[in-house]
Amino acid sequence: MEAYLVAVAIIAAIYALLALGLNLQYGLTGLINFGHVGFFCIGAYTAGLMAQYGIPWPLSFLSGAVLAALAAWPLGLVSLKLRDDYFAIVSLGFSEVVRIVVTSEQWLTNGVQGVTGVPKLMRFLGNGLTQPLAVLNLLIAVNILVALAKLRIVRSPFGRMIEAIRDNEEAVKALGKDPAGFKIQVLVLGAAVAGVAGGFYAHYIGYIVPEQFVPLITFYIWMAIIIGGVGRISGAVAGTLILMIIMEGSRFLVDVIPSVSGVKMASIRLGVIGLALVLFTLYRPQGLLGDFTRR
Amino acid sequence: MTAFAELFIGGLMSGIVVGLAALAITLVFGIARFPNAATGDAMTAGAYVALSASAVTGSTIIGGLIGALAGAALGVAAYALVFRKLAGRSSVANLLASIGVAFGIRAVVGLNFGYQQQMFQLPLVRPWHVLGIRIQPNDLDLAVVAAITLAAVFIILYATPVGRRMRAVADDPGLAQVSGISPSRVMVALWALAGSVSSIAGVMYGMKTVITPEMGWNMLLPAFAAAILGGIGHPIGAICAGVLLGTLQEMATPFVGFTYKIAISFVVLLIVLLLRPQGLFSHAEGAR
Repeated sequence: MEAYLVAVAIIAAIYALLALGLNLQYGLTGLINFGHVGFFCIGAYTAGLMAQYGIPWPLSFLSGAVLAALAAWPLGLVSLKLRDDYFAIVSLGFSEVVRIVVTSEQWLTNGVQGVTGVPKLMRFLGNGLTQPLAVLNLLIAVNILVALAKLRIVRSPFGRMIEAIRDNEEAVKALGKDPAGFKIQVLVLGAAVAGVAGGFYAHYIGYIVPEQFVPLITFYIWMAIIIGGVGRISGAVAGTLILMIIMEGSRFLVDVIPSVSGVKMASIRLGVIGLALVLFTLYRPQGLLGDFTRR
Repeated sequence: MTAFAELFIGGLMSGIVVGLAALAITLVFGIARFPNAATGDAMTAGAYVALSASAVTGSTIIGGLIGALAGAALGVAAYALVFRKLAGRSSVANLLASIGVAFGIRAVVGLNFGYQQQMFQLPLVRPWHVLGIRIQPNDLDLAVVAAITLAAVFIILYATPVGRRMRAVADDPGLAQVSGISPSRVMVALWALAGSVSSIAGVMYGMKTVITPEMGWNMLLPAFAAAILGGIGHPIGAICAGVLLGTLQEMATPFVGFTYKIAISFVVLLIVLLLRPQGLFSHAEGAR
């Protein structure tokens, strides 16, 4: 039971990290990043592949973050000067292309079979509960670090600027600032966080295949930040927890109702996420815990 | 050389499918002002409905017609249940809701029809040989269907009162409203039109390849790319860009491999956004 709870908590912490990155992009700056899973994927494959060569994980996590950021940069350069929804399309396309690349470049990624045998982090702690607990603590520490960094950003002139861009881009332009430049910086930062999350994911799950990085994951994260309330750090974390309860709950449902097969469950989960996206945008755009005074 | 000619014909066929999907996207983008991510899954739904309808009626033509009607109904239902309430909200809200609608459609399709690949039971016909180039008679039928669809769409858009109202709303919603055009009636017509066009695109795509719950979603990126390449809100541009992109994808397959086909539309999309974000065919103001 403890092992199960720790496992769920680790996945939740990885999702929370993704949610924090997206929260910075959408919640604070208004970037419609529909390709978050692409950066996650880059981080995961970088860490997974570098682990095959025995490169220590701090280095591979860093490389994953840098590569994800480097991938985000040209994307932002091309599309963030244009209207918002163009970036949504481009980022969605980007995540699909990342998946195509890791599927096709067999020499590097082993194609659909994926990278297997990614070692667990801090293996010297043995096979008991200590090792996953240590990973969980590390993840929580990283989450707190990112959240604190975000708090600092919010209170800085940079933070005021990106929130101003979200609220009224024209006014920012009228003040002689260049919104695109700030947006690109935010995109790159959020992508780097997603890259780190990918590193944790690869080491925790132990294998990575392209199928793990479908756009649905992106919208899980979107769901989490919308449920929790857009733009709030507590919202990102709370939303992730609610999302995890729904997803783990649906896993139990398979055991309880025998007529629902695994594939059917995948469809039901897709439908639930779809319905939730529609209902939240229709009736509670500020989220369950959202700020009622703003927007 | 003949291999290339056959690739070219195949490219034209998939280009028509991309073009029709892009037409549906550009109509909604031009009038309701958001990129409708549910277009792909509306294609899937149309293909499945047409498949079951032709199995029941025994006629692919009647099946396809029922598929198109179901697509129109799906479009109107999506408008009535979701997008009508989001009118006037940001395009992000509409876009997110359209992703939700897309997932919902795919979930329903998956639960009802399963995940196995399915195919239309088309009669096997010996291909024609013209100058040594093989031409499938089925392709010709599909081209005729596409031509009829396009003719119908353009007649509706440019020669009927409802089409004129649609174009008026696309041009300037405020001005259209003060001229006494009811936005909701225009929207119902728009969604019916967009739904049936996506559905027909799905049926054609299903006839050319196989039908899976993922098929429409996979066409979304090329369709978006074509809609932007053709200039948002520009129906003729969407068709031309779709045909161009589809042909490019098929012609490039021998060089880049099958899996990278979709990636080509992404590269084209980036180049267009970089060099000419208003699209190839669009007038100066564009939708930037």
